[in-house]
Amino acid sequence: MKAALAEVVATLSHLPGVLVAMIVGASDGLIIETSPIKGGAVGGTDSRKHTAALAAYLYSKVTRASDAARLGTPAFMRLEAEQGQICVVGARDIVLVTIVTSDANLGRVRLDMMHAARGKS
Amino acid sequence: MTDPTVAEAWVAAPLRRLMDDARFISGVLLYPTGKAVGQFGFSNAADVMSVCALTSAINASARELGRQLDGKPFYEMHHAGAERQVFMARCASGGQEFLFVGVFDRESSLGVVEIYFEEFQKALEKLRPETQAPGIGPSGDFEGELNRSLDKLFGPLGR
Repeated sequence: MKAALAEVVATLSHLPGVLVAMIVGASDGLIIETSPIKGGAVGGTDSRKHTAALAAYLYSKVTRASDAARLGTPAFMRLEAEQGQICVVGARDIVLVTIVTSDANLGRVRLDMMHAARGKS
Repeated sequence: MTDPTVAEAWVAAPLRRLMDDARFISGVLLYPTGKAVGQFGFSNAADVMSVCALTSAINASARELGRQLDGKPFYEMHHAGAERQVFMARCASGGQEFLFVGVFDRESSLGVVEIYFEEFQKALEKLRPETQAPGIGPSGDFEGELNRSLDKLFGPLGR
């Protein structure tokens, strides 16, 4: 199980433009498996724990919003910021979280994240 | 959610921020001896008194258990119930240790609580307690100290 999760993280983290790939507990927001930050932590601060907790929290709210709108479970969540993007895909008890650069191949990231999520659900 | 009520004003702002950011339902900041410093989410002094006494006892037990199992006291405790979860951890200011215990539900998560508690710890470390910190051990007047701190939080109860 641990090896399978590590493989998912390794596969996602090797995609061009992916800075970090993480598997996070959907209900507690704690990191289960993570890749190192490509290029090192910005400003020497490791923000993975914060990003994981808040991304999982945000995904849970998005799930509620989607449910309220009678759209079903969200398939893919993307948060676009000034200097990059956060992508989240849910897979039952876990969420896959990636931090990607602005110029990343988002289609490939999305496809691989959803493929990995299908394998976990 | 109402503002925290505090026995020592210097903790009001960081406690308010912790309550808002981590989306705690209720929480108490106290000295390890059981004396309450601030609280939110409680309307009854007796409930806070129970929480303080239990938290103080749990901390003492967990600290000793941590020493015996891991060679050092446990840093934090978390209990996940079916609907609500309890988070308990230590923080310090001006060399004085404090305990925090808080309750949250599905509106928050352990990960969110942990990151905002870290910010709370940092905020508290930058502040200094206004009052003379009590000694490490209980003064021998546990009930009196607890009642005095509760009077500051809720007002005298007509004793």
